[in-house]
Parts: sequence; structure tokens; C-alpha cells
Amino acid sequence: MPAPRRAGARLACGLAATAVAAALALAPLAQVGGALRDLLTWVAGFGLVLAGAAALRVGSLLGPALVVLLAEHTVVLAGRGDRVDATAPLVGAGLLLYAELASWAREARPRVHDEPPVLVARMIVVAASALAALGIGVLVLLAANVPAGGGLARLAVGVAAAIGTLAVVVVVARPTSTRARRG
Amino acid sequence: MNRRPSAKIAAYVGVAALALLAGLALGRPELVAVAAPLAVLVVAGLASARDPELAAEVAVDRERALVEDQVTVTLTLRTAARVERLEVLLVVPPGMEGPDGARRAWATAVSLAAGEQRVLPIELTCRRWGAYWLGDVHLRAHDRFRLFTWERHLDRHAPLKVFPVPDALRTLVTPVETLVSTGGHVAPQRGDGIEFADLRSFLPGDRPRSINWRATARRGDLMVNQRHPERATDVVLFLDSFLDVRGPGGSTLDRTVGAAASLAAAYLRQRDRVGLVSFGGFVQWLQPGGGQTALYRLLDTLMETQVFATAAWKGIRHLPPRTLPAKALIVALTPLVDERGVAALFDLLARGYDLAVVDISPLAQAGSGDGQWGELATRLWALERETLRHRYQRLGAAVVEWPDALHLQQVLLEVEACRRRAGLAPG
Repeated sequence: MPAPRRAGARLACGLAATAVAAALALAPLAQVGGALRDLLTWVAGFGLVLAGAAALRVGSLLGPALVVLLAEHTVVLAGRGDRVDATAPLVGAGLLLYAELASWAREARPRVHDEPPVLVARMIVVAASALAALGIGVLVLLAANVPAGGGLARLAVGVAAAIGTLAVVVVVARPTSTRARRG
Repeated sequence: MNRRPSAKIAAYVGVAALALLAGLALGRPELVAVAAPLAVLVVAGLASARDPELAAEVAVDRERALVEDQVTVTLTLRTAARVERLEVLLVVPPGMEGPDGARRAWATAVSLAAGEQRVLPIELTCRRWGAYWLGDVHLRAHDRFRLFTWERHLDRHAPLKVFPVPDALRTLVTPVETLVSTGGHVAPQRGDGIEFADLRSFLPGDRPRSINWRATARRGDLMVNQRHPERATDVVLFLDSFLDVRGPGGSTLDRTVGAAASLAAAYLRQRDRVGLVSFGGFVQWLQPGGGQTALYRLLDTLMETQVFATAAWKGIRHLPPRTLPAKALIVALTPLVDERGVAALFDLLARGYDLAVVDISPLAQAGSGDGQWGELATRLWALERETLRHRYQRLGAAVVEWPDALHLQQVLLEVEACRRRAGLAPG
């Protein structure tokens, strides 16, 4: 496959990721008004720039881009009152889809020729991940509406989940070597 | 294999942790719904990630090739666990070209099932002569969710020598003196041969078949033909590799090595003995030898010719005496750029060697200078080179400039004509 076509695949993934990020960044603006809307517009713009840069050029900006996009939704949710936002699973799936497409764009190096089965498998994994994310989000929201103990139990579960997540970071964020383990 | 977590893990886990904490603080289950997929994907990735235990072998289909030949590097991959994406990067050494015109590296990405063996044949085209090491391969395996990579580097270990394609040369520089062994050069001496030399009176012991009956009838006395024997000679190819002038159209060193290979093959075909002295940063030599073995030895040595900057220079007096036999014809291939190479040729002339110099012109590679002063400098340089050639000619060497556009055969014909004018070659 000639190099321009491979560069095209990378660009297509990057642009698709940016489009998803744009949808995620612009969606909250419709739910607010006044000064908050102005503030969120700036946040959305910043998040979009970060997301585009992460997808097309600087892979290390993926985390900050996700944080800014999440922060925008958090601000909207904080001012929403008691009503549950049913679109949250879509936001979760969208964030995951954006991150997967952005990392795919970084992975598709112009010099590397991916065989068709590799591309098809990757496409299936990305699509399945997004669908699974949607399903998990719906399940979480459904579970949240089930009366399960008092506030203390829910707090304990939340704290355990947060600590567990951080523990995962510590465990996996170090490189290992097969050779070193054998030696 | 070395396992590395991708940056995606930190991003996913960090965002999930933040969302969970925010959801907890604000009491919003929506944020948990946003965080959960990211956390679940990381957990699933951790659970499914396995070291692929990849085994890889590299083989090259041959050890010798000619320029513009295609060489196949076969990469055999085996894996114990399934690999969703395996990036294979083969380093293409300078002077070779990979598929699709890849210059520095060629890469592909494949998927492997558990226990599968995959053979990847990679065609490389040899664009330049030289000694290469092939098989420098980098492997990078990804898991299904692209959370981890396993990397491995295969050390280079397959040698390949690429020889220049020898030009077909019909006429070579004729030596002044020959050896006693039979060869392809007409010797000035009289003896058994094909080329007619002279007539003389019959002497006892002359073979009847040498009698020239027509001359005998005309003179009334038995006359016999005398002939020049065909003899072999020692030829030493003298390569000046102190400097290499490179340009868009090639380099002087490439032309030097190509010409040396062509001359060696042509002289050896004539049953001459050919030796080699390569003068550069380090000195290489081969004593004159004949036959196919000598050709391979010469070519192998030529492949190692390279410019090697050094200030340590000892001159030709440190060469073993057998490297430069007294009656040898020395064909020097030099761009006449480095003073040490120029001085070595003067040294050879002073020692009385039969020397023919092919001046591989670097003017085309260097290009003409910009502006008026650049053009003036180029003209001065050309004049200096011409003066140098005249100095060699005055000392008895045949010197001919080889511009980029000319074929080596034309240059050799000019050298031969030059030697004939100087009385060094039979007219």
C-alpha cells in the first residue's frame, strides 16, 4: 500500500475522533444558558483543541482532553438538580469511542502497512467497545435507581471503587520484561 | 519480550478515578455511568493481556548478489498466544531498497493466531555495492485493547555482499612487460605464438612448420617466421579511497569500485594475475593472483572499501614487496583530490613502475560553484587538475581524465592511445 493511503487512514481516524470529541464538547452547551454557557463555550473550545491535538499530533494529550470534556459534563450535571440525566451512557460511550479512535490514529503510522484482517479486527473491537460502554452505562444508571442500603453503604462502595482504580494505575504503570522475570 | 503499558491506560484509569470521585462528591450516578466503561475496559484488558512468547527467525536467500538484484529476506514468526497486531519493522540499510521503494525501513502489521507460524518474505533491491548485514528487525506486539505492547529486537546476523555489475571491456591497458606464463598479451619477445614478428634464416632445431615457403622461394634460402608469444602479466589495481566526492549523480568512490571490479574481471579472463592496493584511511592489499578464486577475493576486498578519515599515513613503502611486483602494470583509479594519493602515485613513478592513471573526475559530482567567484574557483580547480595530469605524463605515466558521461571502455582506449604515443605500448 502506498504511503499516502496509509497517511490517509491515520488522518481519517484522527478526524473521526475529533468529530466525536466535537459532539461531546458541544452537547452540554445546549443544556445551559447565561454566563455559564459562555464559560462552558470556552471550556468546550479548549477541550476540542486538546482533543484534536491528541488525535492528530500529540498522543500524550489524550488524558487532559478526556478530563476537560468530562469536566464540562460534570459542571452541567452539578447544576441539574435531582433529575437523572439519561444521556450519560451516551457520553461514556462517546468518550470511549473518541479515545479509541484517537489512539488508533496514533497507532496507524504512515510507514506501517496494516493487513486487512488487522484493520477489520480493530474496527470490530472499537465498535464493540463503544456498544459495550453504552450497555454498561445504562446498567449503572439502572442500578443507581435500585434502593440498595443507606448513604453510608453507597459511599463505601464509591470509595472502594476509586481506591481500586488508583491501585490499578500503580500496578500497570510500570514496564516489565519477560527476560528480567526469568533471570 | 519487554512489556510496556500504553499511555491509554493511565488516561483511562485517571479519568475513571476522577469521574468516580466527582460522582461520589456530587452524588451523581451519571458520572459513575461515564467512568464505568473506561474502568471495565482496563480491567478486561488486564485480564486478557498475555505475553505472546514470540519466536522469530531471519534468513536471507543468498550471501552474494549484484547491484539491482533482488534479495529475499524471509522472516519466520511463531507465537504461543494470539497477537492482535504485530508490527514488524525491517531496517533497510543505506544502499538497499525495500518494497514500495522503502529507503530506511519497511514495516507491516499482521495478526497471528495462537500457535500460528507465519512466513513473511520481504524483497529488497540492491541499489549500491557494499557489504551489508541484514536481519535487523524490530517486533512490537499489541493486545486486543491496545493497552500493552511487547517489544523485541532481533540482532542483525545475515551477511550479504553486493557486487557491482562488471562492464564488458574488450580492450584493456597493455602492459610493457609480461610474465613467462601463457596469457592473453602479445609479448615483445620472440617465441611461440600467433602474432607475426619477423623473418630469419633457418637454424638447426627450427620446426619445419615455421618455415615461410614464400620468403624461402623469393630469397633462395630457408627462412622461418618468428612470432610474439602470448603471455600473462601482473596487474595491480591501485585504488585511491582517501576522499569520496558525492553528488546527485553518484560518487567517485562508487565509480572507482565499479571500474576496479570491471578491470579485475576482464584481466582475470585473460589469465593475468590481478592484485589490489586500496589506499585510504586504512590500507588494504591483495597479492596478485589468478583464477576465479582471486576474483572473489578481490571483490570481497573491494566491498570493504570505504572512506575512513585518518591522519596516520605511512606511504607505499610499507606495503609488502610482493604486493607490487617489479614488472607489474599498475592501473591507478583516483579522483586526484587528496594529496596523499597524489604523492603515492609520484612515488610509484619514481620507483619505475609501469603506471596508467585513470583520473576519475570529481567535477561533475562537486558541481560548479555559485556566482562568478564559484565559477572561477571551479575553473581554477580544473586547471590545477590538468597541470597535475601533465606532471604525471612528463614522468612517463599515461593519465586520462574520466568524465561522468564516458564509458570506462572509452577511457581505457584513450589510456592505450596515450601509452602508444609515449612508446609504452605496442603500436
